[in-house]
Amino acid sequence: MTAFRAIVLEHFRHPRNRGPLDDATASAEGANPLCGDRIRVQVRVIGDTIHDARFTADACAICIAAASVLTAHVRGMPVNDAARVEPRWIHTALEGEPPAGRAKCAMLPLDTLRRALAASGGVAP
Amino acid sequence: MTDGLIDQSEPLLSNEPSVALATLVAATGSTSKKVGTKMIVGESGRLIGGVTIGGCVDAQVVEAADALLETGGRRVLSISLDDDEAWEIGLTCGGTVDVLIERVNVHDIVDPVAAAHVAARASLARGESAVIATPLDGEPAALVLSEAGARHGTLGDSALDDAAAAIAADVMAGGSRIAPIENAGATRQYFFDRQSPPTTVVIIGAGQIAMSLTRMARELDMRTIVVDGRERYATRERFPDADEIRVGMPSEIVAAIAPTKRVAVVLIAHDYKYELPVLRALLRSPVGYIGMLGSRKRGDAVRALLSEEGFTDEELARIHTPIGLDIGGKSPPEVAVSILGELVAVRSGKRA
Repeated sequence: MTAFRAIVLEHFRHPRNRGPLDDATASAEGANPLCGDRIRVQVRVIGDTIHDARFTADACAICIAAASVLTAHVRGMPVNDAARVEPRWIHTALEGEPPAGRAKCAMLPLDTLRRALAASGGVAP
Repeated sequence: MTDGLIDQSEPLLSNEPSVALATLVAATGSTSKKVGTKMIVGESGRLIGGVTIGGCVDAQVVEAADALLETGGRRVLSISLDDDEAWEIGLTCGGTVDVLIERVNVHDIVDPVAAAHVAARASLARGESAVIATPLDGEPAALVLSEAGARHGTLGDSALDDAAAAIAADVMAGGSRIAPIENAGATRQYFFDRQSPPTTVVIIGAGQIAMSLTRMARELDMRTIVVDGRERYATRERFPDADEIRVGMPSEIVAAIAPTKRVAVVLIAHDYKYELPVLRALLRSPVGYIGMLGSRKRGDAVRALLSEEGFTDEELARIHTPIGLDIGGKSPPEVAVSILGELVAVRSGKRA
């Protein structure tokens, strides 16, 4: 088993930060229109800092793993820095790139996080 | 109307000021319909529904109903199914059926039976079962008792109504039947007619099987809710017969639907991204049926994943997979028939 696959499966079975964030200050929902992945990312921003980030998803293993590593990464991070997280950071965290045709699965949480941060008034998506 | 209630908004009844309502109140032997099944015979000769699968019995009911429309009142017609001619060639069904026939002024709110049907329909619209109690002879009267305990109408006095309410609680669980009530030194027979809200089939995955399911479920008096995360699939154009179409996170949509015994959830997305979260939301809820499309091997794999999360064997055994009755079909309409066959079997108590 590749490192990518092992990490994805571990996060899929034991996702970090899954579940609603009761005191969220902003939220965004995203979907991959053909495969049906759906995710909601919620953040609690105080001042310029992300104090908490959680997600809820009916989505594939790659999408959930990406959401898991991403929400853990941006906790405690300044909003502007979080908004500048690049797709390649997801690949690094998962120790590999998704197979052909599945790139959108890994990018959906990042795109949705950016929109949540924009909704919080932090940065433009 | 098939087995259910008079619907005053039914276009076929708009020109029928009064009708004869025929209700199968008792049956012995091999009958094809359940007690409580109804037929309406209009003054114009119009027929809606039927108390048997057809043949000579319905013809006798129609004849009696036509006569009763002239005279008014109510009567119980007892019909033997041991028809002489059929006996000779071995086609007899055997047994008897008792059919209560009563004239109802459909649009008259003072008519106790018409009013009872309106009240029972309101109860069903709230998602509650209702029992209509009515005497088999004498003056028309009706009492409606809802699942939540509300009463509408009366059988004549409060003692009778209290006695009927006690029986209705049993009928609510066990089904429609005749029962005697003793009051003021006399005993009369009453029919207790249980009406239940339709089965709601929640379909997860807006693919081709779902399209067939929504078309066919309507014929079986089942409501359908189509659920998908994909707006392009879950459209009214693709699902003209669906009662509801909901787009969003399937597990959240399912969790928001009141989880009663009359809800059946059919997972036909064939995609774990929906199956796992929806099953997590359902396995500890009281929904009446959970089915999942896929092979036995795939079903075992899904159960294994959920078992790791703490779901018990008993909870996991609730998942019907492979879904449906084994009729050997492969095409979407054939799979839909097999799924609906299993839902009918569960509804009628032939399958758990």
